[in-house]
Amino acid sequence: MIETALLCLFAGAAALGAVAMLIARHPMRVALALIICMLSLAGIYALLGVHVIAVFQVLIYVGAVMVFMVYVILLIDVRDSAFTRRFSWLLVPGIAGFVALTAVLCIALWRGESASGTAVGAFGVRPFSEVFLNEYWLYFELVSVLLVAAVVAAIAVVKIGIGRRG
Amino acid sequence: MDKTQLLVGLGVMLFAAGLVGVMVRRNALVMLMCMELMLNGVNLTLVSFAQQTGATEGAVLVFLVFVVAAAEVAIAIPILLLLARARRTLDVEAYADLKG
Amino acid sequence: MTHPLLLIVLLPLAGFLVNGLVGGRAGPRFVSAVGCGLPIAAFAITVKCFLDLSASGAPIVDPVYTWAAFDGHSFEVAFVFDRLAAVMTLIVTGVGSLIHVYSIGYMKDDRGYARYFAYLNVFLFFMLMLVLGKSLLILFVGWEGVGLASYLLIGFWFEDAAKARAGKKAFITNRVGDAGFLLGMFVLYQAVGTLDMGTINAAFASATPPAVSATLVGILLFIGATGKSAQIPLHVWLPDAMAGPTPVSALIHAATMVTAGVYMTARMSAIYLAAPEASQVIAVVGVATAFFAATIAVVQTDIKKVLAYSTISQLGLMFVAIGVGAYGVAIFHLYTHAFFKACLFLGAGSVIHALGGEQDIRKMGGLARRIPITFVTFAVATAAIAGIPPLAGFFSKDEILWFALASDRGGSTALFAAASVTALLTAFYMFRLLWLTFFGASRMDAKTEHHVHESPPSMTGVLVVLAIGSAIGGFVAIPHYLEPLLPLPAVQSAMAHLEHPVVYMSVALGFIGLAAAAYFFGGAAKRAAGLRARFAGLHRVLSGKYFVDEAYDALLARPLTWISERVFLGLGDRMLLDGTLHGLTGFARRTAGVLARVQTGNLQFYLFLAVLGLVAALGWSWQHG
Repeated sequence: MIETALLCLFAGAAALGAVAMLIARHPMRVALALIICMLSLAGIYALLGVHVIAVFQVLIYVGAVMVFMVYVILLIDVRDSAFTRRFSWLLVPGIAGFVALTAVLCIALWRGESASGTAVGAFGVRPFSEVFLNEYWLYFELVSVLLVAAVVAAIAVVKIGIGRRG
Repeated sequence: MDKTQLLVGLGVMLFAAGLVGVMVRRNALVMLMCMELMLNGVNLTLVSFAQQTGATEGAVLVFLVFVVAAAEVAIAIPILLLLARARRTLDVEAYADLKG
Repeated sequence: MTHPLLLIVLLPLAGFLVNGLVGGRAGPRFVSAVGCGLPIAAFAITVKCFLDLSASGAPIVDPVYTWAAFDGHSFEVAFVFDRLAAVMTLIVTGVGSLIHVYSIGYMKDDRGYARYFAYLNVFLFFMLMLVLGKSLLILFVGWEGVGLASYLLIGFWFEDAAKARAGKKAFITNRVGDAGFLLGMFVLYQAVGTLDMGTINAAFASATPPAVSATLVGILLFIGATGKSAQIPLHVWLPDAMAGPTPVSALIHAATMVTAGVYMTARMSAIYLAAPEASQVIAVVGVATAFFAATIAVVQTDIKKVLAYSTISQLGLMFVAIGVGAYGVAIFHLYTHAFFKACLFLGAGSVIHALGGEQDIRKMGGLARRIPITFVTFAVATAAIAGIPPLAGFFSKDEILWFALASDRGGSTALFAAASVTALLTAFYMFRLLWLTFFGASRMDAKTEHHVHESPPSMTGVLVVLAIGSAIGGFVAIPHYLEPLLPLPAVQSAMAHLEHPVVYMSVALGFIGLAAAAYFFGGAAKRAAGLRARFAGLHRVLSGKYFVDEAYDALLARPLTWISERVFLGLGDRMLLDGTLHGLTGFARRTAGVLARVQTGNLQFYLFLAVLGLVAALGWSWQHG
């Protein structure tokens, strides 16, 4: 009972956050809306019993990615032409496309069969890591390579920036 | 409507919202953040389906998406900073170099 | 030998190939040896064939191969050597070889020496194909080929634009005539089913002639002859053709090529015997041309132009003979004309050579003592053409005049009168030429006067041979020889008694012309000047050649050029063709321009398009399960 209520609460918060993202003028407000959205999602994950992912959502997404974005917003002068005029000329077509896409996907979703059985699987850390590091170890390694590549690329980009400035 | 349908519907809506945001917002940073919103929407659908069927693979995939998203942001932000510095504006309409 | 006629035809072709391909590098001696030796060899074989013909009496037929055979039609390449072909071939190879030998001296220092002999040999090849051909098709191949050779040789010194234009004019005028010839061949083939001349003649002479108007065929074939033999209205190319080297003028435009028209109409005599209207047309055109050209020749001042108009005039007389049915007489005049006209042209070449290039007779005079051999041969030939007995021209011209009056196939007093006046004028202007060139005080400038020298033996020897031919050639009774093939017309009974008076009259005409020329041009210059002043208007018209070239230019050339430029170039090419192309490219460019608007460089727009595509794809997969 309370679960359902919490679920609806978090879902609503996530939706509101998403909408607020689209409307807000100042990028900082956009970032904060996104943080709210992400935290709500974390809550949803936790309610679903997938605690690992919920934790990682907060740690990585909110804690690292969004903090990075907030720093950047702090550092840049955001009061330029994009501030005064928020939306490009594609506003109306964009909203139409949004409606169409959502409609198509949701109708396809609700047309499909209801899920069989309600196996409420809960994932603890243990089952998760067992599967992850036994069957998906290759992708684990690949992802670490990707992270190394990202580090190298970030340094390279910074060097270009330094070179250009002076 | 059961739980999974609701959550997947929410995920679809988040994805579509993020897509629209990328399309209509003119600030480059806001565009990036909308892209993160899209990824989150996808993650939500993955987790919902994983929880419904009991497959742990869904959660693994979500984890990998996290890592990739983080790496992506780590590169995207510096590039964006350089671009903004070069054009002196964050307005993406100023970046139309591929105009044919 | 098995294929004598083929050999006669191919020997000059071999000369053309050898001289054309390696002559440039082989040196003048080699070129002369090949270029003259092969025609002389052809002449020798011709003589042998002639002796065989005389012995056996039957024409030699030499089938070579079947050119095309399909669907019931077959076209053969074959040669025939009957009496008429014998006369023609002997003239062509004989006079031709002499002129080849003359060219050795005349063209000695020319840069294109090998090319000249190659072209001369190829001309001989085509001319022999023309006279030896058994069917109209082979004749036509030769006909076109000599036209080509003529073009090549008239424009031999092609670096001079005017000379090149003269060659073009000759070829194009010929082609106009050839259109008529081709139409005639088409009609004949459709009516008779073959182009073999013997079969055609037999068909028209038989009791059941083919169901086609002989007059039509006759006129069409005559149009071709008009082009080739320079009759009115297609005579305009012959005076311009004097731009070529003088031996070329002698060989092609006096002795052989221009006579091809006469030969062709004589060969198809059966058609003309069956078509009295066509024959009348030929006679009238012939006498009109003869008179017309003679009047122009009286006022010409270039030595070669006088001879050119003289050739046109004499050809007209030959066609008069054809027109009244005296085919053998026409060939007789062709034969004597070959000798004296070639001698005259080569003599003129000798004069030009002696004077270092001068061709204007107003700047000559007093040459008789200084170039005696040239003078004597020229004088003999002049007397021959004027009809002084007993030289060759007298016999042939007298026959023409007689049959023009008395032939029962179209002779009339009007024809005779016109022809007689022409004969008088011929004597007059030829002796005028002789007097102005060789007699009187010298009107040359000092430099030319120093240069005067007699020509080398290779040239004077040929002149002597031709002069002897002009002198005694008339005693060979060609019409009688050709009688079995080309029977002479009967004489109208009313005129029968006039035969001797006509002879005396033609002799008298010759001497009157001689006397008049001597009076006006042998004495003081003011006599001729006085005559010119009295008839100034007439003199202007004659000097302008009756303004025929100008008329053609205004009536034909300018409208055609206008149509080409305005209609075909302006409308057709520029507007239609270019316009269509440019329209298409413009359309492509505009379409591309419109489509290029998709590439805005705006990332968000591209993303929007992607979303549209995504929605469409999802919707489609929806529809189709």
